[in-house]
Amino acid sequence: MSTGTANRTGADDAESIRLPERITAQTAAPIWKSTLDTLAHNPAGPIVFDASRLAYVDNVGAAFLFDLTRRERSAHAQVEIRNLALNVAALVRDFDAADFVVPPPGRRDRGILEHLGQATAQQIAYAKQMVGFLRACAGAFREALTRRGAVDWGDVLDIATEAGANAVPIVLLTGFLMGVIIAFEIGLVAQKFGAVIFVVDGVGIAMLRELGVLMTAIVFAGRTGAAFAAQIGTQKVNEEVNAITTFGLNPVHFLALPRLLAAVLVLPLLTVLADLIGIFGGALVMVTFDVGFLQFYSQLLGAITAGDFMLGIIKAAVLGLMIAAVGCHRGLTTGAGATSVGLSATSAVVTSIVLIVVIDGLFAVLTS
Amino acid sequence: MMMQTQVNSGRAAAAPSPAPAISVRNLRMGHGPRVLLEDASFDVWRGEIVVVLGGSGSGKSSLMKSLIGLYQPMAGDIVIEGRSLVTASAQEKAQLQRKLGVMYQSGALFGSLNVLENVRFPLDRFTDLTLEHKNLTARMLLHRVEMAHAEALMPAELSGGMLKRAGIARAMALGCDILLLDEPSAGLDPITAANLDRTILSLREHVGLTFLVVTHELQSIFAIADRAIMLDPVSRSIIASGKPADLRSHSSDARVRQFFNRQPDAHKRRPS
Repeated sequence: MSTGTANRTGADDAESIRLPERITAQTAAPIWKSTLDTLAHNPAGPIVFDASRLAYVDNVGAAFLFDLTRRERSAHAQVEIRNLALNVAALVRDFDAADFVVPPPGRRDRGILEHLGQATAQQIAYAKQMVGFLRACAGAFREALTRRGAVDWGDVLDIATEAGANAVPIVLLTGFLMGVIIAFEIGLVAQKFGAVIFVVDGVGIAMLRELGVLMTAIVFAGRTGAAFAAQIGTQKVNEEVNAITTFGLNPVHFLALPRLLAAVLVLPLLTVLADLIGIFGGALVMVTFDVGFLQFYSQLLGAITAGDFMLGIIKAAVLGLMIAAVGCHRGLTTGAGATSVGLSATSAVVTSIVLIVVIDGLFAVLTS
Repeated sequence: MMMQTQVNSGRAAAAPSPAPAISVRNLRMGHGPRVLLEDASFDVWRGEIVVVLGGSGSGKSSLMKSLIGLYQPMAGDIVIEGRSLVTASAQEKAQLQRKLGVMYQSGALFGSLNVLENVRFPLDRFTDLTLEHKNLTARMLLHRVEMAHAEALMPAELSGGMLKRAGIARAMALGCDILLLDEPSAGLDPITAANLDRTILSLREHVGLTFLVVTHELQSIFAIADRAIMLDPVSRSIIASGKPADLRSHSSDARVRQFFNRQPDAHKRRPS
């Protein structure tokens, strides 16, 4: 008979437990629990386990038998396993109870202060690394400008195509929706004061100076910054970065520079698209407020200046440089293993978005 | 005081079942239109260590992936402990796959878990054991593969040989009967490779596991294999099966002797 639990008998002085035919990963839990309960309830008496029926144990079953043999009990309360098959006994006899006395190291819970301290130390270390990386990037830029053939423009074009041309649909969609939403929300408030026409000024200035570039930069950080970190991170894990270094090449020059150049060129272009489509979306909404396209156009020309447009474009170039730099840096500092690549990509996006807001704030202060 | 436990061994091991652990019949497999192996038939008997060998591109790893149900064969049948893997439903296939322990070339440990947690992972998923009992089982497995000292380390901190040994321990956690190892010795130093060979032999002896090992490391083949099956990428078939020492000395096929004696090609082969 095969049962899922151990049977207890009391034939002689010792408590006796008959073990079932099979103890496996699937059947061991109740057997193990009831057996330990028996041991706990009989701390002073001997206990006999009758293994005459036991024909098969897997690794869990072997661990169960071993657990019986390593329990601390008094000299008069020994545990005895009788009639254990040779092949089953062989699974247990190689282990020494002394090897398992120390509990396995668990994951230590860190307090909030330790977390805070560690996070601060990480950020300081990151800032130092970033300064070093930017210095290396500046050196690579200087070389690109002064030495002919220092930049592989084919690489730059490939990256620009992937980061720019392929991002056009999503930039158009987000830019359009941003224009529509801004015009609609401001329009509803302005209508109450009879100032609907000034919504055009708001849409034009907001899109050119702030929203076009911000939305495009956020999309760029999520799409391209993460891709840069993941690509370079995978190359780091596969030791391609080491191979580049041992060829005498500078990884910053070889891997980061083309991406930095592509980002600086592409993000302003995407921003122009976002600006145009956003203003177009705003114009469409303004029709519902009885402001026609011609009226919108003439009002817009009076409201915006070339300076507004250029501010957005310069900001886009700076943000493109920052997003690419953060992505490349996170990629180059990737640790070992696939998990690290994911962490680098996530970290690149989060850092970029925080820096986008910070840089936008600095521009606002400097140009006000 | 640590109690002395008496373990009275009273019976001999049960006689092994005559049914093969793995039976492959007229297998045809490959990728897309590209056929790697045609009309392959062989058995792996319980408690046996069978090595699948062959040159690069001969389909060794693909054969292993077919045997564990990751690749669907183009034709033929794969029978695991009497049940067909090819015609099994998704649920039956999952049950059959649980009988197989697999160690992939890189160890395939989960990067976010430490070594002990990796080995405990199948126990966490498929058993009702308490954490203490799961930890004890996992630690005993790590002892068996000589990795007890590394239980708290993360996979990124392990050497190639340690990754493979931890991979074997994890593969065994649910009490599989058959272990499939993909290139266990590849890229290891001779001492680590010899240790791994010793671990495989010890697991066969003490746990009674059946092994199918994909490798082309000659020293490992001679150290562990009861039988070798050789695949040939040109004829896309099994060209030899037998004891490695017999194949090296007495095979009638020159390609087999060349492989076992590690001889270079006399002339550059034309691509097939």
